[in-house]
Amino acid sequence: MRILPLRSAVTVGAVTLIGLGTAGAFFPGPAFAKANAQVTVVHGIPGQPVDVYVNGEKTIPDFEPGKVAGPLSLPAGQYDIALTKPGDAIGEALLSVDDAEVPGDANLSLVAHLSADGEPTLTPFVNDTAKLAAGKTRLIVRHTAAAPAVDVRAGGEPVFEGLTNPKEAKADLGAGTVSADVVLAGTGTRVLGPADLDLAEGAATIVYAVGSAEDETLGIVSQTITGLHSAPGGVPSGDGGRADRGAALPWYGAGAAGILLLLLGLARLATGRR
Amino acid sequence: MSLLDHRGTPRSRPGRTVPLLAAGVVLAVVSGLAVWRSQPADDFGQPVVATLASSAPSAATVPIIDGRLPTATATDAPARLRIPALRLDAAVDAVGIDAKTGEFAVPPSVDRVGWYRYGPGFAATAGSIVIAGHVDSAAAGEGAFFRLGSLGAGDVVTLTGPGERARTFEVVARERYRKTAIPLRKYFARDGAARLTLITCGGPFDSRTRHYRDNVVITAAALVR
Repeated sequence: MRILPLRSAVTVGAVTLIGLGTAGAFFPGPAFAKANAQVTVVHGIPGQPVDVYVNGEKTIPDFEPGKVAGPLSLPAGQYDIALTKPGDAIGEALLSVDDAEVPGDANLSLVAHLSADGEPTLTPFVNDTAKLAAGKTRLIVRHTAAAPAVDVRAGGEPVFEGLTNPKEAKADLGAGTVSADVVLAGTGTRVLGPADLDLAEGAATIVYAVGSAEDETLGIVSQTITGLHSAPGGVPSGDGGRADRGAALPWYGAGAAGILLLLLGLARLATGRR
Repeated sequence: MSLLDHRGTPRSRPGRTVPLLAAGVVLAVVSGLAVWRSQPADDFGQPVVATLASSAPSAATVPIIDGRLPTATATDAPARLRIPALRLDAAVDAVGIDAKTGEFAVPPSVDRVGWYRYGPGFAATAGSIVIAGHVDSAAAGEGAFFRLGSLGAGDVVTLTGPGERARTFEVVARERYRKTAIPLRKYFARDGAARLTLITCGGPFDSRTRHYRDNVVITAAALVR
């Protein structure tokens, strides 16, 4: 076989890789089948318990406002979702979405909430489940209330500004407790809080502002996603060197000298016998 | 002496050969022993660690929970670590991450050991309770975990929790990894069987960087009583 010059071999390899990658992206075969999506359902419409139907099947009966259900493990595809008053037929749904796209291998939150102008609606959010560095936590705030733009403050300082329905803001922070409140954007007018948020290490805490400012039903629903932790970068636990039991060089030297002496002695014996 | 040299040439006089041989044997044997004794004890129990780390699949139900804000969970920090085989009885500090390095914040005092407060705690029913301690320090000498690497299978480790409660573990594995290759993820797992993981430094010491090359890891399984 002719040996390719290094550079052209690298080029051929890179082109092949790019080709394979592109092919994989355009023709996902069974080998590329994705894992199920994890779907959590959040109820943020005050005063109205519901039954949740997924593809015509009652999946979460008597789902109370302020509660969080799931996660449901759903294969990628399109889903019909309907919310009815408890016990009502699916035909009399309060709220329904047909052919909602659920991507594979994703973590979603499906939130029943009020739009900015107070209409019940369903909004899907994709949850950021990227691994966190050791010691960190993720705070995600979602505006799903019938209320104007708001600022979210931690310890009195704005951290997320001008958040509107149905948007989210997020940040990775050091784990621990923060005192947070929500004010009308650009003002000091508090609409929610203050509340102590205990942000657990290695977890994402998702806080939903729900309800209606006009009806004075503003409140908070929260969802936690755990298991996003990472191990520390290392465990440095000694800088003295006393525990180094590696054989010291002098011992190897002594051993070698001993063997040399032995050989010399044997050689003498051998020559002596001759 | 039957090997007397009748020709009497000085180069091959047996009177000098015998001490030479004896000295050679002694030197070779002594240094061989020293080298052999300095070899670290062998690892054991790796398959057990893998088994402990695997978690059972969860049931397929749709749990419904209250969407209230999470509240600070009750702390169950271990207070003391006792290892009779090492005559060790050390205070346990709750520690996290060194913000500068992103590494485990091992307590600076070599007499104390650190429990990783973000991971499973004293009463954990699943996952790895991690405690790390100094093998030694340049300033303070031998640390609490100086002889950790000599623990053997079946040695008992006792953790004392809040309110003098005690929990007993039994050593099932001892492993040594280069720090660059250690699967820390496995030892800091929060799922799998409840177990205690003790970590310190070991292996060759680089006196220029003041770092040990390896980590020594002891895994102890929770004894079910």
